[in-house]
Amino acid sequence: MGSPDPKPWGAVPAIASIAFLLFAHIVVASPDAPVAVDVGVVLASNEGTTMDPALSSIGNQLQSMFTYSSYRMVDRLGRTLNVGETGEFGLPGNRSMRVTPIPSEGSKVRLAVQIMEGDRNILTTTLGLKRGGMVLVGGPAYQKGVLILIISAK
Amino acid sequence: MGEDMECREARQKIQDYIDGRLPPRQEGDVREHLGACGPCAAEEADLRGVGELLRRWSAARVGEREQKLSALWTRVQADIEERRKPWHAHLLGRWFWVPAAAAVAVFGLLFYPSNGTRAPFHPNSYDVTVESIESDTATVALVDKGEGLPRVIWIIENGKS
Repeated sequence: MGSPDPKPWGAVPAIASIAFLLFAHIVVASPDAPVAVDVGVVLASNEGTTMDPALSSIGNQLQSMFTYSSYRMVDRLGRTLNVGETGEFGLPGNRSMRVTPIPSEGSKVRLAVQIMEGDRNILTTTLGLKRGGMVLVGGPAYQKGVLILIISAK
Repeated sequence: MGEDMECREARQKIQDYIDGRLPPRQEGDVREHLGACGPCAAEEADLRGVGELLRRWSAARVGEREQKLSALWTRVQADIEERRKPWHAHLLGRWFWVPAAAAVAVFGLLFYPSNGTRAPFHPNSYDVTVESIESDTATVALVDKGEGLPRVIWIIENGKS
């Protein structure tokens, strides 16, 4: 009549943990899983020759695609959004961006993106990205340069 | 002499009489004797007084120890309940924190609130499909500079850039 021998069940915690992590992976990878939207707001200009250290991981790509001499990240925004949920991001220059994950198939996420300047719609687009993928939206004038938005979704 | 015998017998039975343990007939005999015999009646009164004192004393002691007794009983009940639980309940209780901690860690990593100090951009893909693109007030262009570079949607605001 002693306490039961726990040895046969010693692997239970490990199995439970692995099962949980697998389950979590499935949930995260499923098309309807929440989408973490990450937006880097970069001011690109020809004022100086700055490469913001926060942009070092993609600095080479920026310099090879654009002809600006200075890249400075002025804001970094992020929201985790469910499918159908709209997140609003404030941008410099009285601008705003609305992002809504929309239903998708497979491993891609689809984002409906709208950029407004006051009441004016300056861009409406629907993007399909792989989770972890990135797209750039640039051009709106700001100060003595232009804004480049680094949009990624996980 | 008969009266002496009656007193001796009566006094042997007084305590049982007080306690209500006598058969009805003997109880009637003792009651009758006590009604007629002053010393035996006094003995009965004394015994009743002692009994009352003992009851009060016992009640007082129980009152003094009521809290301790109550706590002891609570512990006994809890122990009984604990022993009634199936053995795997103990195991679950002991190891439940493992998946719970894993859940917290995973969700913390996945849904950590955004702020300006997050990790640098490390895209794993530039594969982007632009399903639709339009603007009411600007000209937009889709720029693809090749593999290894992100696709760019460039907004040319009329009269600005």
